[in-house]
Amino acid sequence: MGIADIIEGKKQWRAHMARVKALPPDYQIVYKEMQRYLFKVGPVDLPDGPLLPGIVDFFEEGVAAGTGVLALIGSDVAAFCDDLVKDSRTYADVYQESINGKPVTDER
Amino acid sequence: MSFWETITGSDLTREWKAFEARAEALPPEYRGAWEQIKGHLFPYGDFTGRNLMPLLDAALGLLEEASADGQSVSEVLGDDIPSFCTALVGGEGARTYRDRWREQLNRNVARKLGRLGG
Amino acid sequence: MDDLTEMLKGTLEGCVLEIIGGEETYGYAITRRLNDLGFADVVEGTVYTILLRLERKALVQVTKRPSELGPPRKFYTLNDAGRAELATFWAKWEYLSSRIDRLKEGGR
Repeated sequence: MGIADIIEGKKQWRAHMARVKALPPDYQIVYKEMQRYLFKVGPVDLPDGPLLPGIVDFFEEGVAAGTGVLALIGSDVAAFCDDLVKDSRTYADVYQESINGKPVTDER
Repeated sequence: MSFWETITGSDLTREWKAFEARAEALPPEYRGAWEQIKGHLFPYGDFTGRNLMPLLDAALGLLEEASADGQSVSEVLGDDIPSFCTALVGGEGARTYRDRWREQLNRNVARKLGRLGG
Repeated sequence: MDDLTEMLKGTLEGCVLEIIGGEETYGYAITRRLNDLGFADVVEGTVYTILLRLERKALVQVTKRPSELGPPRKFYTLNDAGRAELATFWAKWEYLSSRIDRLKEGGR
């Protein structure tokens, strides 16, 4: 069970958050706010997909290059997040499909 | 294995118990929010409620993440849980709430970076 | 030129494909290239989201290589599907710009 396992202290998640904590303060702030937003928007593969670790990879490169976080991603952080998940299905999509009768799950 | 695969292949009662076990582990403030979220999402459920499972999982995950980070419930969900639920199911007005979250995100970033003095 | 963002949106992916098609390259270099072209508003984050999408659509080959400073870097080259997509992009661009030019010249 994706989010549950991860949040409840799976090793991977702890390692992931440890990497976040190693970022400079400005990067940490932006990362945490982004994560909060992305969890709400809810792309289905967020918890165990490559998106979040990918962001940390990208941020680490920015840090190494001495770039400020907003110079790296632009000041519209929300637009950056939306671009990241543009073609991902969200929980809301899955739900909407379920009520519109599209075969999301086995039909009884 | 994705949540969806897990859920479609198994019995709902067990999943339900798993949710409740996770909710038990939350601090009281978050448990209260969880009860409210369940109440607001139920009307959206189909006959078995199966279609709600991913949404409930998402909501619970959000609460878990927030409590792990030491954020307050209102900081994460906004002060309007019914609206949060509407947005979660992608129903009417979902776009508006997403816009609100978007503004919230940029505002929080600006405020917190400002506080850094950078 | 200011405020190209909206207009550039649909074409930036094609531009990135073209740059990668020229030679193996990485996000930061692609961004600089676009900035030098005169697209000053393009930040690394924008390019990052495009590269992510190209990767998801399996249009590029990605190789991780260590870099002198900081974490390893992802290098991109086009695969066959990417080259086909690039050709399609230029065909569409040709069509679009020729129509718009015609519209402009047709006005008396």
